[in-house]
Amino acid sequence: MVQVFAVPVFFICFRECLETSIIVSVLLAFLKQTLGPERDAAVYKKLVKQVWWGVILGLLICVIIGGGMIGAFYGVGKNTFNGTEDIWEGIFGIIAASIISLMGAALLRVSKLQDKWRVKLAKSLETSDQARGNARGRFKKWAEKYAMFLLPFITVLREGLEAVIFIGGVGLGMPATAFPLAVFCGLGAGCLVGYFIYRGGNRASLQLFLIISTCFLYLVAAGLFSRAVWFLENNKWNHIVGGDASEVGSGAGSYDIRQSVWHVNCCNPQLGGGGGWGIFNSLFGWTNSATYGSVLSYNLYWLSVIIAFAVMGYKEKKGSWPFRKTKQVVEEQGSELGCQPSGDITGDSREIKKDESEVISTNIREILEIPE
Amino acid sequence: MAISLSNFLNPISVLLLYVLRCNAVVITYDFNVSWVYANPDGAYNRPVIGINGQWPVPPITATKGDRIIVNVNNQLGNETTSLHFHGLFMNGTSHMDGPPGVTQCEIAPGKSFTYNFTVEQPGTYWYHSHTRGQYPDGLRGPLIIHDPDSPYKDLYDEEVVLTFSDWYHDLMHTLLPKFISLTNPTGAEPVPKASLINDTQNVKVFVQPGKTYLFRMVNMGAFAGQYLWFEGHTMQIVEVDGIYTFPEEVNMIYITAAQRYSVLVTAKNHSESNSPFVTSMDQDLFDKVPKSLNPNVTGWLIYDDSKPLPPAAMIENFDPFDDFNLIPHDLEPLYDHVDYALTLDLKMGNLGDGANYAFFNNITYVPPKVPTLYTALSTGGNATNAVVYGENTNSFVLNKGDIVQIILNSADSGKHPFHLHGHAFQVAVRSEADEGPYVTDIAMPPTPMRRDTIMVNPNGNFVLRFRADNPGIWLFHCHIEWHVASGLIATMVEAPLTLQQTLSGKIPADHLSACHDTNTPTAGNAAGNTINVLDLAGAPRPPPPLPTGFTARGIVALVFSVISAFAGLAVIAWYGAAPLGAV
Repeated sequence: MVQVFAVPVFFICFRECLETSIIVSVLLAFLKQTLGPERDAAVYKKLVKQVWWGVILGLLICVIIGGGMIGAFYGVGKNTFNGTEDIWEGIFGIIAASIISLMGAALLRVSKLQDKWRVKLAKSLETSDQARGNARGRFKKWAEKYAMFLLPFITVLREGLEAVIFIGGVGLGMPATAFPLAVFCGLGAGCLVGYFIYRGGNRASLQLFLIISTCFLYLVAAGLFSRAVWFLENNKWNHIVGGDASEVGSGAGSYDIRQSVWHVNCCNPQLGGGGGWGIFNSLFGWTNSATYGSVLSYNLYWLSVIIAFAVMGYKEKKGSWPFRKTKQVVEEQGSELGCQPSGDITGDSREIKKDESEVISTNIREILEIPE
Repeated sequence: MAISLSNFLNPISVLLLYVLRCNAVVITYDFNVSWVYANPDGAYNRPVIGINGQWPVPPITATKGDRIIVNVNNQLGNETTSLHFHGLFMNGTSHMDGPPGVTQCEIAPGKSFTYNFTVEQPGTYWYHSHTRGQYPDGLRGPLIIHDPDSPYKDLYDEEVVLTFSDWYHDLMHTLLPKFISLTNPTGAEPVPKASLINDTQNVKVFVQPGKTYLFRMVNMGAFAGQYLWFEGHTMQIVEVDGIYTFPEEVNMIYITAAQRYSVLVTAKNHSESNSPFVTSMDQDLFDKVPKSLNPNVTGWLIYDDSKPLPPAAMIENFDPFDDFNLIPHDLEPLYDHVDYALTLDLKMGNLGDGANYAFFNNITYVPPKVPTLYTALSTGGNATNAVVYGENTNSFVLNKGDIVQIILNSADSGKHPFHLHGHAFQVAVRSEADEGPYVTDIAMPPTPMRRDTIMVNPNGNFVLRFRADNPGIWLFHCHIEWHVASGLIATMVEAPLTLQQTLSGKIPADHLSACHDTNTPTAGNAAGNTINVLDLAGAPRPPPPLPTGFTARGIVALVFSVISAFAGLAVIAWYGAAPLGAV
């Protein structure tokens, strides 16, 4: 069985494909909900194509790089990534967690901005490339236009490279015949789950779907962040013992007892692809050997998310950041003092709406770097 | 540099006090132990522990029946010391055996200590410090007891002493903390930097054609076993660890740390060329072998000093003689009925400080507060109760005259050489590698070989038998000094009540003042308790075991993390649900 189906490779592919297809399916479902084939077919189709192009191109580059790397492994005869594997995982994880965190907030305010989104996206797609503006301006415009391409492209690239590196480390001892079926099944299972998430999104109301999928996303991001910090600590431990600590398995010596918060000798998501624990690790950041770093980073991540969302929600409700006054209050005072005729109430609500949408579009702007 | 018998007839000072029996003399050595500098491999000048300002340290030589007195003066300044005379039975003088915490206290810097004992056993032995992790710094040398009645005395013309040793460049007090540390969780032993013959390299032994030489060979190393062969010559093994054997003609032998072999080598009939002889360190136990390590060291039998010294030839593989097949010269038959059997299950593992330790029956050796011998002498009738010696001395009480069997099952892939103080034992069984624990009904040889240091094969077992005819406190331990430090030691408390009769009140004053100088009590159980010797509270303990699952800290962390995740999800849901309410 091991000869034709490498279980660790299956789990690695499943895990990485799962993360990717979650993100891609959320994007596609979002596109379907906001633009929908009934509303703006051309724009919708274009954006969907962008998403898929992003996925395919990312996959292609991964396969090329992966093939190159695996070829180099076997050619050069040594695992060049052995020493830096953990640093790669750590940095990738932090970047990925950041991307997901920033993207997730935006998706929750989508229904308010449907029109604005549609107009903006349609306008930027129809606008031909303009020669004016410096390289940075042009890049920004280009990035905004192809946001739906870039996001899945970068995601697939990142996940795919992670998978390649990990497979490279895990699979060197296995016969080549064990790979194809495991990879195929892993990718297939990941896509299937992603598809169900996508389909599920259409039936429920958009916002409920968005809430659930965003919660899911943030769980993944929290786990990723914690995992990334864990990898960086593990890298430090490897240097202390002068070798690969995982060679001693899950037991004593594979972890730094000074940093350990809990350690059980079973349930290791890193060994042999991890099995079910690998999925648990991927979704929730479970590790059998937690350190102060990984536990603290997990909790601090959630703390930051709580504070960020609470502040954003507060600002939307009250119209100001906590502890700061708004323009609206000043206007109100000004108009009261100055006894100017103003259609105050409508003026105010317009101001409020303007501020709110400014806030939200500022958020989106920051994410996508669209100049005002 | 030639080494021959004539060098050994001048010990430091020879006092003829009185003649006990025919020709028995008292030989006295005054050893001033201090640091000197040496560079034996030509690669690194380093401090070593010398005696009387010289290194290599002088050999101790005597004749069977002599009394040896060694006055040790510790001038090291920064370390305690001790001396153990490896292989000597110390019959009736267990308090002169040497290991601190067992038969004496450490000799403090600036203090003196006298060892005084007779030797009734001829053969090749050695002496070395038994202070934890000290002898590889240089305090070890050969100890030769001549036998005017040797069965082989007419078979050779001259005697040559050869010592072998692995060699480190760093001091032990640098290497030992790195070895027993959480940064070395696999317990990888430091790899030696070089190998030495007679504490130097490029040794020349001058031989004459046609003569036969008795080579007395000692492995004084800390760690590495040595493969040894003489190119172009065979060896006849005539003695191992002080036990004469029937001559066994072999091409290559394997000497573990602490073992000795005496072999007869007959020189060729011509002096056309010089012949190399080689020892090669067994690298199986070396963790990471640096490319620059040369595990071999070559010496030469010099037939003609004007001829060149040929380099040693490379060989295909090592094929050493298995010492299990030796037959002792006195044909002592196998002890076929056993009065007391004990089993030692060996394993290596980690404790709560993250470091790697060695265990016999899940117990790692920790020295007691009171040396075990003094506990035996001061606990009256309770001295036959192993409890008073503390759990961590791994003590077994033996009755006088019993035939004792030790079964050792190794769950480790190392090749450990085990040594029993105070006895030579019959090797009844030694399994091949990977055979696991001993199962009974294995055929035993009728006249099994005897020696005092024997290797166990990786993940294998062996069975030893000896008669408890020597009251005393005798350690049984692996002779890899790293494993002595990590606790691979058991204690045989042999006939403690007889010990009380023979030794009570006879411990010399300098032994007791050594304890006084190091603030060590000289009475009581392993915890120093003289009132209730069955109460071991306060006895020295090893680090606690590693936590095997969730501790309180872990559960709190996990629960808190789950709670914060739920809180985060709740806030996200709240934020996400806001448009639903506003619209």
